[in-house]
Order: sequence, then C-alpha cells, then structure tokens
Amino acid sequence: MESTSRRGFLKLAGLGAAGAVLSSRPISASTKSLTLLHESSFIKTYDEHFQKVLAPAYEKETGVKVTYELTSVGSLQTRVTTVAETGSGADITSNAFSWPFLFDEKYLDVSDIAEEAGKRQGGWYEAAKEAVFVNGKWKAIPFGNIGQLMNWRTDWFKEVGVAKFPETWEELYEVGKKLKAKDHPFGFELGHGFGDNHGWLYPLLWSYGGAEVAPDGKTVAIDSDETARAVDFARKFFRDTMLEDVLGWTDPSNNKAWYAEQISCTNNAESILWLGKRDFPEIGQVTDQALNPAGPKGRFHLLAPVSHSIFNFTQDPEAARAFLRWLTDEKQLSGWYAVADTYYQPFLHGYDNAPMWQVEPRNIPYRDAMATAHLPGWPAPASRHMAESVAKYVVVDMFAKACSGASTKDVIKNAEGQLKEIYRSA
Amino acid sequence: MSIRSEPLIGVGRPARPVASLRAWLDSESVFSWLMMAPPILFLAGFVGYPLCYGIFLSLQDRPVAQPGVFAGLKNFAIDFNDPVFWRVVANTFVYTGVATMLKMVCGLGLALAMNQQFRMKNFVRAVLLLPFIVPTVLSTVAWMWILDPAFSVLNWFLIALGMPKPGPSWLGNPVLAMASIIFINTWRGLPFYGITLLAGLQTVPPELYEAATIDGASGWQRFRYVTLPLLQPIILIVTLFSVIFTFADFQLVYVLTHGGPQNATQLFATYAFDIGMGAGQLGLGASVALTMLPALALLIVALTIYTRRQ
Repeated sequence: MESTSRRGFLKLAGLGAAGAVLSSRPISASTKSLTLLHESSFIKTYDEHFQKVLAPAYEKETGVKVTYELTSVGSLQTRVTTVAETGSGADITSNAFSWPFLFDEKYLDVSDIAEEAGKRQGGWYEAAKEAVFVNGKWKAIPFGNIGQLMNWRTDWFKEVGVAKFPETWEELYEVGKKLKAKDHPFGFELGHGFGDNHGWLYPLLWSYGGAEVAPDGKTVAIDSDETARAVDFARKFFRDTMLEDVLGWTDPSNNKAWYAEQISCTNNAESILWLGKRDFPEIGQVTDQALNPAGPKGRFHLLAPVSHSIFNFTQDPEAARAFLRWLTDEKQLSGWYAVADTYYQPFLHGYDNAPMWQVEPRNIPYRDAMATAHLPGWPAPASRHMAESVAKYVVVDMFAKACSGASTKDVIKNAEGQLKEIYRSA
Repeated sequence: MSIRSEPLIGVGRPARPVASLRAWLDSESVFSWLMMAPPILFLAGFVGYPLCYGIFLSLQDRPVAQPGVFAGLKNFAIDFNDPVFWRVVANTFVYTGVATMLKMVCGLGLALAMNQQFRMKNFVRAVLLLPFIVPTVLSTVAWMWILDPAFSVLNWFLIALGMPKPGPSWLGNPVLAMASIIFINTWRGLPFYGITLLAGLQTVPPELYEAATIDGASGWQRFRYVTLPLLQPIILIVTLFSVIFTFADFQLVYVLTHGGPQNATQLFATYAFDIGMGAGQLGLGASVALTMLPALALLIVALTIYTRRQ
C-alpha cells in the first residue's frame, strides 16, 4: 500500500479544499439544482403535480433538480422578504398580490420569456400586465388569478323566488333581506383577513365610481360622493343581510360558516366549491358561483395574481430562465392548470376555451371576471404606497367602521387622512 | 502502582509558562469574565445586534429590497401622525395592564389553592400547566372555534340560558374582541404565574405561620403579613417577565383577529409586522416596534431598582 507523508497529506487536503471552493462558483454548465419557493395551495393536487410530475420531468430532461420549497398559507411574503434581504435561499419564487412592485429591484427582467409565451399562447390579459409590469419591464411571469367571486346557495335563493344570481348590488340587497328574514343571512368578511375582505370591498367601491387614489398615483381621491354612496350601501347591506360576526372575520371564517350552513351568500375563491364537492357533497350540489354584482358605474373584480420571478442573485440566471421558459410552455402549463380545476385562472387567452373549463362549468364566471379585475388601489398603478394602504386595511376599515355605526363623513375623513399620510411621498 | 514511573524527557521545560497561564486563568478577574463570555456573546449576537439593527432601520427610509436612505426621526413623526398608531398604543397598554393584573391575582389564588393538601395534587398541578405547554398557535386555533358563534360552546350555553340566537359576536364586536384576547392571554399565562408563585410559597418556613398563629393572627393576617411580603420578590420578577411577554404579544392576535375588527385588537407587534412585512416598509415597521422600548425599559428599570431596595 502506498504510504502518504504528513506533508503530502497536507498538500492533498489543501488542494481538495481549494477545489471545493472553486467548484461552488457559479458555472452555468454545472448547475444541478434550483429552488422554487411556493405557498402551500388550498388545492393539494396543484402542489403534488409539481412535485410528482413537473420536477421529475425537468430533471429527466435536463439533469437539473428543482426543489419545490413550500411555505404555509400566509407566510410566503415573510420568506420572500428574508430571501430578498439576505440574498440567498432560493432562485425563483412565486408572488402574490403586488409583490413584483415591492421586490422589483431584486427580480430579473423576464420580458423575453413573457413576450414569447404571450405570442405563442394567445396573448396576455391586460390584468396580467397590471400585475407584473414594473417600469416597462416584466418582472414576473404571470401564472394565474385566484379570482374572488360570489358564491351562493341555489336552494335557499329559490326559497325566496330567485333562480338566477342578482345582477346589481341593490338587487342582491333585496334578496339578502328576504333571506336573512328566513334565517339564511349573508356573510361577507369585514375583518382583517388577507383576501376575502378586499375581494368584495374594492369592487364595491369601484362599482359606485369611488377610488382611493387618482390615476396619477399621487392624488388621494377617496373623499367623493361616489365613495359615500358605496359606504352607505355597505352599511345597509351589512345591517339588513348579514351576521354581526363578519366584522371580526378573517379568511377561514366564511368557509367555516358556509360549510356549517350558516350563510347563504359570500365572496370567495373557487376553493369553496372545490372543498364543498370533496368534503360536503350535499352543500357542493347546491353551491353556485357568479360574477360580482354591478353598481352604477359598472362591474368589477379583485385581481389576486400569482406569478413567478427570478431573484437577481441566483447563482445561475440562465439556468433559472431556462427552467421558467420550460415551465411557461403550453405542455407544462396546461397540465398544471388542469389539476387545479381552474382555481388559478390562466392569464393567457389561449386557455379561454380549454377543456378544463368544461369539467366544472360553475367555475366559468371566474374566467369571465378577469376582464374587469384590478389590483387594490386601481385606477392608480400598483406601488409601494398601495401595498401600505392594503397592509393598513384603510379601505376595509373605512367600510367596517361605517357598518359598526360610524357616520359616512367620519369614516371617509379618517381614511382620507391615512391615505394622505401614506401617499405623501408619492 | 504508578501510571508513569519515569519522568518524560523535556516535559519539565514548558511547565513554567503552562503554570503561569493556569494561574492567570485561575485569577478571579479573568475566570469570572471567561465564565461570563458565552452569555455575553450570545446576548450581543442575538439581542444586541438585532436591537441595534432595529434602531438603525428605524432611522431610515428603507423599503424592502431597496437600499435605505437616512431619514432621521421621520418614521417616528409618521407614527405620531397616524391615528391607528395611537389606537395601537392604547390597545397595548389596556391589553398588558388588564391581562397582567388578572394573571397576578388569579395566579396567586391558584398558587394558594395548589399549596393545600388534596388528593391527586400532583396530577392537577401537571394538568394546570397545559395551557402554557401547548403551542400558542395551536391553542389559539382551538379558541377560534370556541369563539365562533356557529360552533361556540359558550354561545350554545348562553342560548340554552335564553339569550337570542346567534349569541354574542366575540370577535366581531370591538369591546368583546379585546376582552376575548385578554381572557385567552390570561388563560395561557396563568400557569406561569401559578407554578412560579407556588414554588415561592413552598419556600416560606412553616414556623413563621406557627408563630403568627400563636400570636393570634387570622388567616387573612397570615396571608397579608407573612405570605405576601415573602412572595413579593417573586411576584415582581414574574410580573416583569409577564409584562414583557404580554406587551410584545404577537401570535395570539395574529392568528385570532389579525388586529381586527377595525384595529380594536391591533398591538405594537402585529402593527409593526403588518407595516414591515405586509407593506414592505422596514424602517417604518421598525420604528413602530421600537416605540415599545422606552415604556418597557422604564418599567424594567423601576422594578429592578425596587427589587434591589427590598
């Protein structure tokens, strides 16, 4: 056996250490793994499809292993913040709400991938651009919208002679009064959740012609007759159709009340029907879904987009781009959309008539809502100020305070004061 | 039998420096610092650094994922102009004050009860610790169901007693929401008070009670003039800890109400989190969190001085 001297061993060890250091440098050809951050989905098959089908397929095709790092519901933003601030931990992340506008300086420009996908798959919805187009660049590849629409009990609506969902807020109010009298109240979140409150309150405000800020993104415009009319409507809508408890609801609350057969109408994502069909089939049978009602100025919906971005500190940007390009290909996208039963409504027009919409036609309003969907703060462009207003629940609390008994004038004045402080530096 | 019969060649030569090093290490001034070094380093790394970084952040206009710009006290000025901030201040003081008082009074009662002799005493003591042992998020989810009018055992009971359906809206009514989170915080923190005070009670020498009894002291007088003075240092320490934990409470409110309805349960920690993480305004969020510091520091200093004087 060949013997190794002490000096020789030290040389070998030194060379080994140097090799290890050098090999950890970013070298495109040697990239073997990527990490994709995602929030755990309400639709379990969606996560499973990535882990069991997409990731193995990509590894087989390219040799690159993609780790799908899941965070619990509601905690992804904290994780993305940590990764963005420390510059390590993941290569790609999914985004919600207006995050591409918050983290834009840490995201790569992916305009080429987005434009290519748009050309090949029917073009993007305008809403997609509203969600991820920052300073003239696509900072994320839009994936899908988690629409917030009306969910209603067909059997109880029939009891008061209504077979088709009302077209306007006023018509819905009239139906709601009758249903509450029959012990089937409505339940729309007015508390501090993260989606189901904004899901109906921003569209309500817009449908009466109100807005937080003017289109310039600087001038606070909440104090208007239109806002006042929306607030007045919300107050009577709450008082005459709902449970008092909705004032303290967070996002799980309306789902619990729905499956407990406590409420006859709410505003939620498709998941309420998906889970109903799986776990409460009798309730699933009498659940239907509809577009938000129209107000005097039209019909609106909340944009709740999911998109994917590449961190600019990823060790191998080309490998990350290659993966995102592959993921955005129709072959991969169509399968991923389909397993989630349209819970994520595609932002590409190429999927407008995809077979998945025929699996559960009650989901079709979620597709149709995309044409009138906007981020909170619209008609102003998305911004950090808008994110602050949402985080401080300015609009939600304006409506909630009115529903608790405060005057319309006071709640609007209060909201205006907060918004002026938030938009001072805009 | 000796382990080493022959002295080893050369071992004697470095003996002098080793011995002097040993003597140096053995000196009290060096040894005490050596013993204190690990906790000091730990505190500097995990408490001192975050605190200093928080102060640094609070003095900056520092949006997430962007470089900061020195802004002086601008963030604090924004806080002081924010009506929600003042609501948060009031909420936090009410929440901390009422919950701490309740925990102190009920915890003392619990400790006195647990100090008596009864069957299955050890089992009952162990069960009493459960609220403190169960992870806060888990117990809060249980409370979420208890306080949900559709499923609430409380509402079921009240309706059975004649209250109209659906009963109180525990988390929808601003006053009841605050009362609910105070109650749950008290429920969760009571065992900490109870068990710590029980440990204190067991150190009170029985002879003192015997002497007081012989002198004709009543039960109340024995409690007032024997138990309470001897427990005072422990009560102060437990209160100090409790105030700090309650003042900076996060999980309970975040899970149960997220500061709603209409900020009625918004506390410093939850509001700072919403601004720092939700809005991505790290500097502004840090400034909200740091405004807790003076009140807590004053309290800690006051209680420490009082304890030393005692």
